[in-house]
Amino acid sequence: MFRRTSILLGRNRWLQTAGLIAIWFACEAFVRALALPVPGGVVGMALMLVLLASGRVRIAWFRRGSSGLLDHMLLFFVPATMALLDHRELFSLTGVKVLAVILVGTVLVMTGTALTVEACIRWKNRHAC
Amino acid sequence: MPAEGHALFWAAVTLGIYVLSRRTHRHMNRWWTSPLLVTWLLCFALALALHASYGDYIRGTHWLVTLLGPATVAFAMPIYEQRALIRRHWPILLAGILVGSTIAIGSSWALASALGLSADLRLSLLPRSVSTPFAIAFVEDVGGTPELAATCVVITGLIGASLGEVLLKWLPLRSSFARGALFGMGAHGAGTARARQVGSEEGSIAGLVMILAGLASVAIAPILAHFLR
Repeated sequence: MFRRTSILLGRNRWLQTAGLIAIWFACEAFVRALALPVPGGVVGMALMLVLLASGRVRIAWFRRGSSGLLDHMLLFFVPATMALLDHRELFSLTGVKVLAVILVGTVLVMTGTALTVEACIRWKNRHAC
Repeated sequence: MPAEGHALFWAAVTLGIYVLSRRTHRHMNRWWTSPLLVTWLLCFALALALHASYGDYIRGTHWLVTLLGPATVAFAMPIYEQRALIRRHWPILLAGILVGSTIAIGSSWALASALGLSADLRLSLLPRSVSTPFAIAFVEDVGGTPELAATCVVITGLIGASLGEVLLKWLPLRSSFARGALFGMGAHGAGTARARQVGSEEGSIAGLVMILAGLASVAIAPILAHFLR
């Protein structure tokens, strides 16, 4: 069974993608049934990590399917950005203010996070050697 | 044109523009040629010109948004491949997420108050740095409008993915951890997709940080709700 799955999934990118979609679908149903405050995809990812760590799933079974999905992630965001069509009130002074909050806020978050991590890594490297 | 025709039309337009913008981006490789930015701008301009509503558009393209779920599951592979690095440096990642989340919520609140935005808009801006499903769970606890929150999340992704690339040139970042955390914390999934183009280590770290930041925001939402309500 284990070997047969290996041969079947090992080559086909579309089968791998379909497998990832099936896992997500099952986890989404699970999360909905229990009304958990976590998206199904995150539960699916955690489950997948457990399966990988326990050796029940091999990374080669899903490598091509997962890199395919992740390569096109930017495309999956496009439809959501079109929600702005129904928020014309944001095309006004309020919208400019919201944009300013997001722009300045994002610069602060990115700079703060990156410099914290960088400083910690440099500190750790200096003290480890 | 019947509704099915509309749906097919928008799906074809989105995919077509996306394929072309990817090709252009590979040739020019500037932040303003980012496929997300270009595809959004062109689709938006076309929708305005054709007087289409969001309902018309999403009917044909909702399946694309749905694929974000399986894409999240797919992150297990790159994260698992980086497990040795993550095991060694996990306290540093947690420190980055803690600092990042505090700045994200604090700066949104302070800037929105300073500019005199309405209370509803101010609350909806708070979770803008985490991905949409987490942001909606956050808003349901703390207050604000889920729809507005989702829109703010999306604008953050749109701006952040390009902004991150500019910041990378300015900040003295030697480690792939810092570069990955910058994208994952600042611009959730859209940033993570950009981080994958910077490097595979950056991409995995960004994916992990994005998910942990989302979980952190859901965890602190009840506490914030207690203070803000």
